[in-house]
Amino acid sequence: MNFSEIQIIGEDETFKGSKSKYVWLFGGIFVFLCFLAMHYSTYIFFLFPISEGIPYSLISYIVVLSIGPFIILITSFDIVSSEIETGSVRYIISKVHRSSFILGKFFFLFLVFISVSSGIALISLIYQYSEGNVFQLKNIVLLWIFSSLYLGCFISIFLFISTLSVNNKISFTMSMIFLGILIFFFLQGHDNYLKYLTPFFYGVKNMEFMKGFPVGAGYLTVFESLFSMFMYMLVFLSMSLLAIKWRDL
Amino acid sequence: MAISTKNLYKKYGSRFVLENLSLNIEKGSIYGFLGQNGAGKTTTIKLLSGLSTPAQGQIFVDGMDLSSESGKIKQILGLVPQDSGFYDERTALSHMVYYGRLKGLSKKESLEQSKVLLDQVGLGNEMFKRVGYFSHGMKTRLGIAQALLNDPKILILDEPTNGLDPVGIRQIRQILRECNNEGITIFLSSHNLLEIQEICTHIGILDKGKLIAESTIEKIRHLESNGVITIGVYNLSFGMISLIENLEFVVKTELKAEHTLEIFVNSRTDVKPEINRLIVESGGQVFKLIENSLSLEDAFFDATGIKL
Repeated sequence: MNFSEIQIIGEDETFKGSKSKYVWLFGGIFVFLCFLAMHYSTYIFFLFPISEGIPYSLISYIVVLSIGPFIILITSFDIVSSEIETGSVRYIISKVHRSSFILGKFFFLFLVFISVSSGIALISLIYQYSEGNVFQLKNIVLLWIFSSLYLGCFISIFLFISTLSVNNKISFTMSMIFLGILIFFFLQGHDNYLKYLTPFFYGVKNMEFMKGFPVGAGYLTVFESLFSMFMYMLVFLSMSLLAIKWRDL
Repeated sequence: MAISTKNLYKKYGSRFVLENLSLNIEKGSIYGFLGQNGAGKTTTIKLLSGLSTPAQGQIFVDGMDLSSESGKIKQILGLVPQDSGFYDERTALSHMVYYGRLKGLSKKESLEQSKVLLDQVGLGNEMFKRVGYFSHGMKTRLGIAQALLNDPKILILDEPTNGLDPVGIRQIRQILRECNNEGITIFLSSHNLLEIQEICTHIGILDKGKLIAESTIEKIRHLESNGVITIGVYNLSFGMISLIENLEFVVKTELKAEHTLEIFVNSRTDVKPEINRLIVESGGQVFKLIENSLSLEDAFFDATGIKL
């Protein structure tokens, strides 16, 4: 692993991504959906206690929770498999470490979706402020961090599947199936241990922080949540690194 | 040695595609790696360039062990894989700058070197064109150009002339000779015998995953020296032919004309003086003595034992 190699691969992906109509399209759809959800939030006003006003950060977070995995799937399923399919991976791997290749790809995607999360957090902040609500910067920061980590978990999952696949078709199919399995596990209910295997569980668990920032012992819960999501991401990222290490290219 | 391998094995599933492969590629040589389709040439190249890992055995590049010093080795190695695998929407120059940076060059250095190398391979006027519009030959030349970034010591090419027209083949051959003149060791795989014969100094023949011959081109040609000697003799008699046929190294003879005899020999040494002496002592007068040396194609078929 070499930091400058990771940086060059990440930079190149950004260069390619900035020219890709799909990245702009799906990133835009994501932010736009969030904007729509907040714009029409007055229709769901009755869902929230009147005294606390509309929790814009929670609405944004729900959008991220529900739409995020699909957007990530569409933008990242081919990130490695396309290079394997076309054979361009051979030119790259003959020059750099395999781990740098994977980490460069991961950090590129992660940074893109951190930026998208920032955009969502900003929209949420603007709405909250313009509607005369109390300025809750902590909530917005939490929304940004949790959204980024939640999306990071899915990035690492789809990156792993893409690393294992020989072409884009297989990668897309496997990613769809895996996402389906994760949703199925999550729907098994709160008492089932399978829920721990899904990022949805950690994502939903954090919803309560979006209503109001915890105080006292609550900080520990936030930290625990952040740590779980980080570890989840790290496990799949490590599996991707192992997969590329032993792959014949 | 530029590259050497020791008892290399590679298997896919339970099937061995390479068995006990021990290669020795001298510095400054152009090593041709011959073999039929499916003999294991591409697998060997993948192993040498770190794209694949052996089941067993060791690979040394410029004295360094590939398993422990792959990072350093990648800096001195240039690889031209079999399939082009470029990004269609990007220009040749953009590819080169990217690959140059991956090879450790700064942006500025990479840009400068890229322009020089693209000129060298005849793509100077096409550097701003998208690779999607390139012909197969142009992509191969771009492949060679990217492999030459950051002055590699060793260039590995997997069937570089595959699918090229005669002009393209000649261009690639010329580029490779120039690289070799600059001191770069070249290892290229091919199933084109003429190609190997034309350009290589050394050769290895791979058959069903096993290295069956490795030497210089000249030595390989004489490895199985089932040569034919055509001899022209005045006063040629049947007694004389019978004496020749009794020689230990003579397989058979064929009378081609009144004074011309073809002698099929099996020997690793030069037998012409002995045949000449025997004929002269028997009263014959030799006016022509030609040894038809084996082509690489003959040597290849002899070595692999393939019968058509």
